[in-house]
Amino acid sequence: MATRTVRWVLRYRPGQRVVHWLHAGAFFVLLITGLALIWPPLSFLAAGGLSRLLHRVAAVIFLLTPALYALLDFRGLRDLVRDSFTYTREDLEWLKGFPGYFLGRTSHLPPQGRVNAGQKIHHALTIIAYFAISGSGLALWLGKGSLGPTGLLAATLVHDLSMALMAILTVGHIYFTFVYDALPAMTTGYVSEEYARMEHALWLASIPQEPPYVIEVQEEIPEPRRVRGARAEEEAVG
Amino acid sequence: MARLAMLIDLSRCLGCQACVIACKAGRELAPGERWVEIREVVWGRFPELRGAFVPHRCFHCAEAACVQVCPTGALYKRDGFTLVDFDRCSGCGYCVEVCPYKVPRLVDGRVSKCASCLDLVQRGEEPWCVRTCPAGALQCGTREEILAEARARVAALKDRYPEAQIYGETQMGGLGVIMVLPAPPEALGLPAQPQIPPLAIWKDGVQPLSLGALALSVLTSGIAFFIARRRHLEEKRNSQNHGE
Repeated sequence: MATRTVRWVLRYRPGQRVVHWLHAGAFFVLLITGLALIWPPLSFLAAGGLSRLLHRVAAVIFLLTPALYALLDFRGLRDLVRDSFTYTREDLEWLKGFPGYFLGRTSHLPPQGRVNAGQKIHHALTIIAYFAISGSGLALWLGKGSLGPTGLLAATLVHDLSMALMAILTVGHIYFTFVYDALPAMTTGYVSEEYARMEHALWLASIPQEPPYVIEVQEEIPEPRRVRGARAEEEAVG
Repeated sequence: MARLAMLIDLSRCLGCQACVIACKAGRELAPGERWVEIREVVWGRFPELRGAFVPHRCFHCAEAACVQVCPTGALYKRDGFTLVDFDRCSGCGYCVEVCPYKVPRLVDGRVSKCASCLDLVQRGEEPWCVRTCPAGALQCGTREEILAEARARVAALKDRYPEAQIYGETQMGGLGVIMVLPAPPEALGLPAQPQIPPLAIWKDGVQPLSLGALALSVLTSGIAFFIARRRHLEEKRNSQNHGE
């Protein structure tokens, strides 16, 4: 069987991946158990109160993930926060090219460092939404009995809106992951060199070109898939 | 069924607690649950003291904040009463928070408040509290009948209680419990104009807006995905061809 050498680049350290999936898992439990409270077709989930218990268990995990991040990989957390709120002229250029990026093109974009402007904004909004969700959620949890109608209204408004923002950000996050085959970054920690070159050329150039940062993997060359056009071509040639 | 209501005539209430016990027994309430409470209120200045027994129980507001805020629909309106589907209650306690009368409570993780004896009324019987009242202070019927009866009773009381009045005709969109008061509501610990919290902007505005924006983002990215994926693979192929 024919093989080829493919280079993979270390994108996320184990601690970062653990924190990511814990945060993501807690987020989805919170989203579903929360939707049960605002979307009538799901309200059967909320009846009886089990979803409230799940919501609170997930809330504790969600709340603690930044602290866990700091414990497991403080450098990762520091870089995340710093990069999320540092913008340059190049970021503006990148944003101008965003519509094309949204629809699958990267060649028109200026070379990017570790995170591009879209990721920076995504991270920044996620951090802001995190604090809005957590603050209003804690108010609803611990403030019961002293919020009053106005307090309840304010807390639920902030909670709903910030959660909607985070859910929409997550939709975009998943969208780009699957458009650009970025999932291995969070499952294995590595992205293909091709991905790194197309999306983060400056970052790729800045890291040591040796293990564990860059590794080489022998990979089977997949059988070329027969597509209708190709067969027509063959027949024409034959 | 027509819009129903209850009459509570405070000038006749003896404070005997019969309704409290009848409700608890008749509705088979759990320990710790109590849908009717009678509070003793005294006002005036010695030696001109006056007193009354004031019920603390669900007043079945037409524009009920608890119903507006209930996420699961466990609280709902029917025939003028605010009913509870206990199986649908998640125990979130939002109703406790917003009730201007501070009526609903949480008992064993679910709401506890008068869910009305509508089942009895529909069978032609009277609610437990009404049927036990020895003083004729309670009555149940259509809202028009109850309002007419309340007016007649207020008129008859005016000699003895010059400040006698009806409570519940307009408050919170009109209560399902019409009270005959011997004194102004404030003296009896009842809010003269309870505020309807602006909860509608949450439930009718922000919730659909949030859900709609989320659904729209899923739809947009779902459609764009097919375009973007195709173009990304195309770009990848091109760059590989150039590279080789």
